[in-house]
Amino acid sequence: MDSVVGSSGGVAGDGAVSPPVAGRPRLGESAVERWARALIVLCALVLLAATLEIVIDAAVGHSPLIPKQPQIAGWLSGVGVRLGYRTFLIALLAFTGAYAVMLGLVGRISKRWAIVLIGALQLIVFVGPILISTDVFSYIAYARMGVEHAINPYTHGPIAIKHDAVYQYVGHDWKHVATAYGPLYTLLSYPLAPLGLKGAVWGMKLMALLASAGTLALTWRCAKIREIDPVAAVFAVGANPLWVIYGLGGAHNDLIMTLLMMAAVSFAFAGRDIPAGASVVAGALVKATAAALLPFMVLYRRGLGPILGALAALALGALIGYAVFGIHGIDVVAALNRDAAFVSTDSFPTELAHLVGKPGVFPIDHDLLKGALVLIVGYLMWRTWRGYDWVAASGWTLLAISVTSTWLLPWYTLWGLPLAVIARDRRLFAATLVIQGLFIAHQISPLLVPVA
Amino acid sequence: MSRGRLIETTLLILAGVLLAIATVNDVVEQTHVNHRLIADLHTWRVYTGHDYKNVSTEQDLYGHTTRDVVCGNTTPGPPKERIQLCLQMTGPVIDGRRAARGGWYLPPKSEDEPAARYGCFGSATPARYCGKDAASATENPEAGTSPETSPEAGQ
Repeated sequence: MDSVVGSSGGVAGDGAVSPPVAGRPRLGESAVERWARALIVLCALVLLAATLEIVIDAAVGHSPLIPKQPQIAGWLSGVGVRLGYRTFLIALLAFTGAYAVMLGLVGRISKRWAIVLIGALQLIVFVGPILISTDVFSYIAYARMGVEHAINPYTHGPIAIKHDAVYQYVGHDWKHVATAYGPLYTLLSYPLAPLGLKGAVWGMKLMALLASAGTLALTWRCAKIREIDPVAAVFAVGANPLWVIYGLGGAHNDLIMTLLMMAAVSFAFAGRDIPAGASVVAGALVKATAAALLPFMVLYRRGLGPILGALAALALGALIGYAVFGIHGIDVVAALNRDAAFVSTDSFPTELAHLVGKPGVFPIDHDLLKGALVLIVGYLMWRTWRGYDWVAASGWTLLAISVTSTWLLPWYTLWGLPLAVIARDRRLFAATLVIQGLFIAHQISPLLVPVA
Repeated sequence: MSRGRLIETTLLILAGVLLAIATVNDVVEQTHVNHRLIADLHTWRVYTGHDYKNVSTEQDLYGHTTRDVVCGNTTPGPPKERIQLCLQMTGPVIDGRRAARGGWYLPPKSEDEPAARYGCFGSATPARYCGKDAASATENPEAGTSPETSPEAGQ
C-alpha cells in the first residue's frame, strides 16, 4: 500500500518536480511528519464522510436542495434522512475546511492517494441523485425536443413538450426558455434522448464524470509541462467542494466546457496552435464563456495558428448549427444578452447593492458592470501583449466574468479553476479560492438562526 | 515586487475586502430576516391556534420596512384551498414572536391581492388594504419582488 505522505520533494516518479517537503525521510520521521500524516488521513475521511452524507440524504428524495427527479438512486434511499439546509451546510463547511487543510499539506500527499481520494469522491457523487440544480433536466428536455418531438430547442422552451416525462422536472423558471447552450453541446446531448428519462439522466451524469476526469487529466499534463506539482494541481480541482458537490453533483455542462478549455491549453503548450484555437471555439460552442481564452492565446502566440484553428472550427460549427437548428442555433449573442439580464441573490453585484442600501441591481448597474468587465479584459490583453502569462489572463477574465455577473451560480466559479492551478501567477488561484469561499460563506445564514 | 504588481495586488486585496464586507453584510441581513420570518410564522400559529405547515410570508421589499404579511388557511386543507387569514406583523421579535397589528381574509384559491381581500381589521384599514378601492389606489403595497427577474436556479 502506498504511503499517504509522499517523498520529501525532488523529482516525482513521473519526472515532474514536486515541491520540497519539510521534515526528514520516513525512517526518521519527526513528530511534525506524523501529525501531518494523521491530519491528512483525518481530512480525507472528512471529505468522504461529508460527500457520503450529502449523497445518502439526497437519495431519500425531493427537498429544498434536491430537485424532483426520477428515482435513479433508490438503492441508497433507505439509509439517510431528507436533506435539509442544516445538514447540507454543515457537510459543505466540513468538506471545505478539510479541503483547505489538505491544500496546505498537499505536498505531502502521494500521487496514488490523491488520485484514489479524488476518484472516490467523484464516484460517490456519480452513483447518487442529481444535487442542487434542475439544469440537467433542461438539458434532457432540449435533447428530447429535438430528437423525439422534432421541435427546435433554440426557438421553443420545454413548455413545448409539456406532455413529455421530463417536463415535470424542468425548473419552473426555465419552462418557457429556449436553450442558451451552444450547438455542439446540444448535438452531444441528442444521443441521450432516446435512452428514456432515467437513461438520459445517467448519460448526463456519465458525461459530466468523464468531462471531470478528462479535465483533471489535462490539468495534470499542463501542470507537468509548467513544472508545477501535478498532484497539487489535480487535487485543487478534483477535490474542490464546488467542483464535486455542485459541478459534478448537478451534472453541469460547464465541466464539458472546462474539458475543452484545458484541451486548448494543452494543445497550446505543445505548440499546436491550430487545434488549440479550434478547441477554444469547440468550448464556446458548448458554452460561450469559453471564448474568453481566445484573445489571450492569440496575443501570446502572435501567430496565425490559433486564429486559423478558431475560424475553421467556427465555420464548421456555424455550418452544422445552421443546418440543424437554423439561424437561432448560431445566435449565441442573443442567448448571452438574455441571460445577462437575470439576477441571482448570490451574485456579488446584488450583495454590493444591498451593502449600499439598494434592494437589488438595476439596469444601469448592468451597464456599469459590463463597462468594468471591458476595462479588466482590456487591461489583461495589454498585459498579455507585454508578456504576462496568457493562461493567468484567461483565468482572471473568467473570474471577472463570474464576479461581475448579476447571475452567479456556484458552478460559474469553476470555469477558471483549472487555469488558476496551472497559472504562473499564484494570485489567481488565491483569488479564485477567495471568491469560492465567499460564495460558500454567503450560503450559511440558515445555520445562524435558531431551529424553528 | 515591481510597482505595477504591487498596485495590482493592492487593488485585488481592496476588491476582496469589499466583496467580503458585502458578503458578511448580506449574511447578517439574511439572518435577521430569517429570524424575523420564523417569528412571524410562530406568531401566526399562536394567534390562530392552527399549527399548519403551509403558511406563507411576504416581505415589504419595496417599502424597505420590516412589516411582513403572513397568510394561511383558516381550516385544514391544501395551501390556499380554504379561506385564508392574513396577518400584518410588525415590530421587534420578543420571545420568538412579533406583534400582529391587523389583517384581512382571502377567499379560497386567491392570491394576496387588494381586490381579493375582505374583512380588513386592526391597522389594515379597508381604504388602504381591502377591496377594489385599495386595488386602484395602490398596486399591492405590501408584497414586493426584487427589482429584476430572479429565476430560482440554473443554466
